[in-house]
Amino acid sequence: MLIAIWGDELGAWVAAVELARTGNHVLLQQAAPGESSHRAEPGLMDSLAAGMASGNIRLCSNQEALQAPWHWLASHPSDISHAESVCRDLSQQGPDNLVLINQSNFGIGASDRLHALLDSTRQQSLVCLPDTLQQGQALQQFATPDTLLVGCEDDAARLRLQALLRPFSSRLQQIQWMSRREAEFSKFAISGMLALRLGYINELANLADRLDVDIEVVRQGMSSDKRIGQHYLSPGCGFGGHHFTQYIEGLADILAETRHSTLLNTVLNENERQKELPFRKLWQHYRCDLRGRRIAIWGCAFKPGVASVDNAPSLRVIRALLAQEAQVQVHDPEALSALQSELGQSTGLTLHQDPYTATQQADALLLLTEWPLYSSPDYERLLQLMQTPLIVDGRNLFEPDYLRQLGFTYYGVGR
Amino acid sequence: MDKHRVWQQLEQLCATESSLHLRDLLQVKDRFSRFSFRQDELLLDLSRQRLTTNTLTQLLQLADSCDLAQWIESLFKGDRINHTENRAALHTALRLPAEAMLEHQGEDLVTLVQADLQRMQHLVEQLHQGQWRGFSGEPIDTLVNVGVGGSDLGPMMVCRALDGFQAPEARQITTHFISSMDGSQISGLLDQLDPARTLFVVSSKSFSTADTLANAATALDWLIRASGLTTELLARRHFIAVTANAPRAEAWGIPVENQLHFRDWVGGRYSLWSTIGLAIAVRIGMSGFRALLDGAHRMDMHFRHTPFSHNLPVLLALAEVWNINFLGIHAHAILPYDGRLAHLPAYLEQLEMESNGKSVDRQGNRIEHHTCPVLWGEIGPNAQHAFYQLLHQGSEAVMCDFIVPARRYADQSDALQSQHRLTLANCLAQARVLALGDAAVDQSNATPWQRYQGNQPSTLILLDELTPASLGALIALYEHKVFVQSVIWNINPFDQWGVELGKQVANSLLDIIGTPATTNRFDIATEGVLNQLHGQWSDRESTEC
Repeated sequence: MLIAIWGDELGAWVAAVELARTGNHVLLQQAAPGESSHRAEPGLMDSLAAGMASGNIRLCSNQEALQAPWHWLASHPSDISHAESVCRDLSQQGPDNLVLINQSNFGIGASDRLHALLDSTRQQSLVCLPDTLQQGQALQQFATPDTLLVGCEDDAARLRLQALLRPFSSRLQQIQWMSRREAEFSKFAISGMLALRLGYINELANLADRLDVDIEVVRQGMSSDKRIGQHYLSPGCGFGGHHFTQYIEGLADILAETRHSTLLNTVLNENERQKELPFRKLWQHYRCDLRGRRIAIWGCAFKPGVASVDNAPSLRVIRALLAQEAQVQVHDPEALSALQSELGQSTGLTLHQDPYTATQQADALLLLTEWPLYSSPDYERLLQLMQTPLIVDGRNLFEPDYLRQLGFTYYGVGR
Repeated sequence: MDKHRVWQQLEQLCATESSLHLRDLLQVKDRFSRFSFRQDELLLDLSRQRLTTNTLTQLLQLADSCDLAQWIESLFKGDRINHTENRAALHTALRLPAEAMLEHQGEDLVTLVQADLQRMQHLVEQLHQGQWRGFSGEPIDTLVNVGVGGSDLGPMMVCRALDGFQAPEARQITTHFISSMDGSQISGLLDQLDPARTLFVVSSKSFSTADTLANAATALDWLIRASGLTTELLARRHFIAVTANAPRAEAWGIPVENQLHFRDWVGGRYSLWSTIGLAIAVRIGMSGFRALLDGAHRMDMHFRHTPFSHNLPVLLALAEVWNINFLGIHAHAILPYDGRLAHLPAYLEQLEMESNGKSVDRQGNRIEHHTCPVLWGEIGPNAQHAFYQLLHQGSEAVMCDFIVPARRYADQSDALQSQHRLTLANCLAQARVLALGDAAVDQSNATPWQRYQGNQPSTLILLDELTPASLGALIALYEHKVFVQSVIWNINPFDQWGVELGKQVANSLLDIIGTPATTNRFDIATEGVLNQLHGQWSDRESTEC
């Protein structure tokens, strides 16, 4: 099948390479993702090169793209006017019976408005397919989804879409058909629910800190209840990324505007505070004076497996430390160059390729991203290298009692 | 010309002119163009003052006879014209642009002032970036300005007036002002604040003001209770001192790196342009603060370099001198027709009455004529429902200042724009009725109690818009008007000896409140109340036992 891709969001690129891999012909209008965090998505650039080499992916003009029978749209939330002009062009120049799959986060009701711009007399139809991609494992998630939510109000388009998605259904347990508007709402609802869980567990962790309770024990107790389960229940120093955050911000805005509800805005604000938790622990430990202190940071990516620092807790922590005139020494296996381009040159900030050199002469080590390579470090070496054996564990990765036994001062999140 | 002679001529002129009524003066075709004056974004309309061209000419001679031009130069050059305290009064230096130069006692004041501003800017940036941290590491989101008099009224008035110019990065910071000695403001406020996120700005030129230090001590005590931390740590993270007396502030516990300074040549009531304006700079950002300074600076240049016949502060001062000293008007109402200027009356009460509320001249002689009138005021439309009755039909002659912006709500709803039209209509109507009285409309069927005398003079100040720059110009206009009047009356407007004796006596009473009065130590009235207090206090102690 011949599919034209529109937009520069991660979903657009993942769809391009995965659709090409399964034998489709894919038309692109730009050669590579504009955003570095998308280019860093594991496997993406290789798959793109492979697609180009096989001829299944090729560059084309806007005019040629408009002629395709299939269109995949994954644009940035602020680009709705571009999406509208694509739909207008398609209604005038596109073929009969075309299907446009919209994967953009334009808010609830946007798919209906875009659909109305197409020419329905010629059976042009828009299908809303909210993405479930998580940065770091997006290709695999696209290839083998567990469930799909599809907003489709046209039987002919439905049949054709089933055929297009057939190669990706090996693990598919459920495909939920619904209206476009319901599909959009469901995506927001899911993101909001996950954010509420994270917000709630962090709130409990902060309380546990005050009450001398280990939140890890409490969390395991909670997870054992089937109604609750274990997902999205790990306390830590806040969630980042931009995809997830965009949806939650979108829903928070709708709730605030239409219902004067502050529920999700509170979650978002508390998450921003939570990102600075490691800084606050350090600040209090050193009695509100960090000037000249040497602080090591392990992990600046917003989560393990990504090379991106989008909305990452590390950004807030590093900015806070630099503002207090501390010396910051950062290690990350993937995201150092993203950090560099986000913060620019800054006196007081050094980047390290080796995790241990980052801890040299340090007055504290802050763990902000739970990359597997940090899970079991050489503690003896840390004790030798660090000026003060102080660890602030923003992801509850380490075993507190063991570290204390070794002679570290340990602060976790809620333990 | 000799001041005494001009004064006598004005008295003679008054004998004939005091009977003139504004309803007749306002018949003259070119009166508005002759008696209204513009300086950049500000129009001064004196056409409803009981002036004729003749009066104005002689008033300008009075100004010359008092050597006003030389006094203005002395003010700007930094001569020690506050002679009773042996100081200059150089608030105009605070408004000089960075590229200017002003040599004073061997120092370049501009460098000094800019360095103070630079330190303030650094602090403002830290607050705006959320990087000034409290004891828990949370960013500060609440600023409490603790000060009184000039350390309170100016910043509070300007913050309220320019609320709409809030810098985007300032949105997360709320500001409060605390002044009252009795603790009634601070006790209510502290209940609502989070100690971990609150920064106290303790503003006191001398850092010995009892009111301010009492409030600061309460704030410190609150922080200690909430955090369990030491005074040293809390003073470092939760207090900024703005002062001209660094050692005193340090002795109180605020380290030098947490201090912003200004100089002894800045009087308290002229200090909002200095680092005392920190709360303003936090609210409207440094660019807004510099626009405020720039508006004032342009008025300074106008005042210093424009011939008196077109000089707004001079003309405003002379019109009021005519009212006070010749027409016998000793009450002055300040009536802003803009709710944002709600605190302007209180601000001007201090500026005018603390500066010129004096009856001894520069040589120490008793002054035989009136000086500063009693000033009061209120948001005009609200005062219409309160004391305007007295303005229109009372027995007192009152002069009024109407202050109103021409444009407001330009990019907002029609409903708000029509509220502004309503306000303008009311402002013009009140000025018109005060001037014309019954002649404003057909009053032929009016009963005696529906009659209006009119002939109450008023000034109308029309700002193009209320902005940082126009507000700066407006305040500078009043400052310089006060200065011109002080020159005409030959008084020092920059001291305030009249507030000292009360403080001294309060100190002598402090320790004996609650004890029985010793006879003949005070006066019969004070001793009487001391005994009453003693009775009340010992009753309370016995019930508590």
